[in-house]
Amino acid sequence: MTDSQNHQQGKKEIIITGFGGQGIVLAGIILGKAAAIGEHMESTLVQSYGPESRGGSCNAQVVISREMIHYPYVSHPDILVCMSQSGYDKLIDQIKEKGTLIIDQDLVRPGRGLTCDFFSIPATGMAEALGRVMIANIIMLGFLTAVTNVISMDAAQKSVLESVPKGTEKLNTTAFQKGHDYGLATLKGRQKKAAGQAGAMS
Amino acid sequence: MDDFKIILFLCNWGPHTAFQTLQDNGSEIPDQISMIRIPCTGRISKSLLFRAFEMGADGVVLLGCQPGTCRYGSGTATARENTEDTRDIIGMLGLGKERLGHATFLPDESDLLLQFLNDFCDQIRSLGPSPLLPIPMPESESVSRESVAEIVSYHDAFACQDCGKCSSACPLALIGKPFSPRELVNSIIAGNIDSPSVNKDIWSCLTCGLCYDRCPSAVNFPEFIRDIRHVVRKNGGNAREAHGGFFQSLMRAMTWPGLKTQRWDWLPKDVDLDAKSKILFFGGCAPYFDIFFRNHLNVETTNIIEDSLRLLNFFDIKPALFKDERCCGHDLLWSGDEENFLKLAKMNVDSIHNLGIEEVITACPECYRTLAHDYPKHGIPLNFKVTHIYELLEKEIGKGAIDFKKIDKKITFQDSCRLNWLEKPADLPRKLIRRLKPIRFREMQNNGSAAICCGNCAWTGCDAFSKALQVKRLRQAHDTESELLVTACPKCQIHLRCAMEDPFLGEELNMEMIDLTGIIAKTICWE
Repeated sequence: MTDSQNHQQGKKEIIITGFGGQGIVLAGIILGKAAAIGEHMESTLVQSYGPESRGGSCNAQVVISREMIHYPYVSHPDILVCMSQSGYDKLIDQIKEKGTLIIDQDLVRPGRGLTCDFFSIPATGMAEALGRVMIANIIMLGFLTAVTNVISMDAAQKSVLESVPKGTEKLNTTAFQKGHDYGLATLKGRQKKAAGQAGAMS
Repeated sequence: MDDFKIILFLCNWGPHTAFQTLQDNGSEIPDQISMIRIPCTGRISKSLLFRAFEMGADGVVLLGCQPGTCRYGSGTATARENTEDTRDIIGMLGLGKERLGHATFLPDESDLLLQFLNDFCDQIRSLGPSPLLPIPMPESESVSRESVAEIVSYHDAFACQDCGKCSSACPLALIGKPFSPRELVNSIIAGNIDSPSVNKDIWSCLTCGLCYDRCPSAVNFPEFIRDIRHVVRKNGGNAREAHGGFFQSLMRAMTWPGLKTQRWDWLPKDVDLDAKSKILFFGGCAPYFDIFFRNHLNVETTNIIEDSLRLLNFFDIKPALFKDERCCGHDLLWSGDEENFLKLAKMNVDSIHNLGIEEVITACPECYRTLAHDYPKHGIPLNFKVTHIYELLEKEIGKGAIDFKKIDKKITFQDSCRLNWLEKPADLPRKLIRRLKPIRFREMQNNGSAAICCGNCAWTGCDAFSKALQVKRLRQAHDTESELLVTACPKCQIHLRCAMEDPFLGEELNMEMIDLTGIIAKTICWE
């Protein structure tokens, strides 16, 4: 299937990669749920499983589509989210040419000469500032929701609340909101820079 | 319209001879002119010129000797500067520049003088009456023991344990002034409100709040002093106003409903505003200060307003401006004129409500404190939220994707008293400073909750000790080996600049200053 066909059918292939324990798979579940339940689309999740889940490299492969999904594995993602350097190194060559790369800038140092659309957020630093480093995945989801239009804000937020442990709803909502705000600010900054208004005085 | 008043300040030397010739010849000098003979026009300060308007004059003329013929040398030049400054201020206030004139005559130029007086009269006649009506001075009533006792018990000053922590923390006492908050409270409790020392000392207090911070009984000394000042002023006490009371006069003048101020005319056209916005930017009196001090301190506090608006624009906020904006009343409240403070407060709040505003943003710490805290405390409820620009900046910058350009300087920071003692924005300036990228940020010896005042508050009680305090503060700034002093209040800029003008110490003290909003506006950029 070619890229353009993918686009027409609204099919998005996403890989979220990081260390085991960062909540990579949970982020994949929330994303897929938001698409399936919130947006009434089809979605699949394939998660890496094995020794990786105790600290090694780990990834979640999510496919979201308007039509039935025949094959759940992702080899060339439209959106690649990297929360570890090893994940980035392993998958960066497989991202589609016009794909979107999102990294946690506290954990990943991107290589030069990227041709894809590139976003970065200090998700882990922001999570530390919120007091719980494990909330970085939710911040990342908020960011992803803002900078791509795979799922809507409403659907994502509902899905977050349904999927996180009871008693942590408030923290997760704040984290999601932070990531989302950061994403909107990034988009606004790009727009302003493109219009030649990089600073306040010019 | 012939029912108007013109005050003519006439120099004793040159033009008075010409005026006398007119009188001797029985020439018809317009009836509306009341002449006041003075020794030299150079001694008619901006405050005296303005006071005439405050007391109901429709026009004021200052007539002096021609340049080079001044008996005292510099009188004419000083008079010209004073008139220019006052003209620009009354212009901004909406009275019309043309109401204030300055001219010079030789003793034998009586015909020219008569011509000038007639022309000036015609000019005032065509302008119509001044929108300022005379403001009655408060009737002198003796300080009632009851009202003092009420203030003492309201602030629970009886709780004073005589420990003296206030006096040992007071910046004025530490600089060597024979001034003690503890002693002052005790004298007032003892009923010595009329004693000369109390009458002098209550105007010296900086109301900076350090003593309140240290007081184990939590006696709010600044507010206590503020209320005592009110009672003493009502009693006709001399408020020891600085700059001849010019600013108090100016702020009282703003209580007149008929005023149509033009305080925004200087604003660059490329600042984006939206008259229909639900967010209002409250500017403050900086434009007046800049005119008043332009020949002396060369301060540029209006930059704070412009930079704040540019920062709002940077975040896509297009605020409304307030055409009828009047002074917030801070300086009147803190120099004992509660009546006129309340008038200003009501007018400002009514106008803001009429505009349907939901949020007021301000960059001035005094305006912020006054609007957010003192208006409601004085029985004027607000239907809108008051936000200091630092809160807004921290929130917006906190969202991310913002970067700052490098600052090629080492910086230090002068706290603002009015923000320091409020719970919410107290640590905000430092959060913002830590985001900047200077070579280095180093605190002064006294900082944060121990910071010392820039030397004066509410334009009252300025003396040699105020200067000493400024010198001390600037030396502390130099001790940090910084090159740039970041401030958070326009008054700090004015007062610290004053010490830098000192003929003996000026060069040693001189240091570049910028307001925090200015340095943010200059370096902020999208990541």
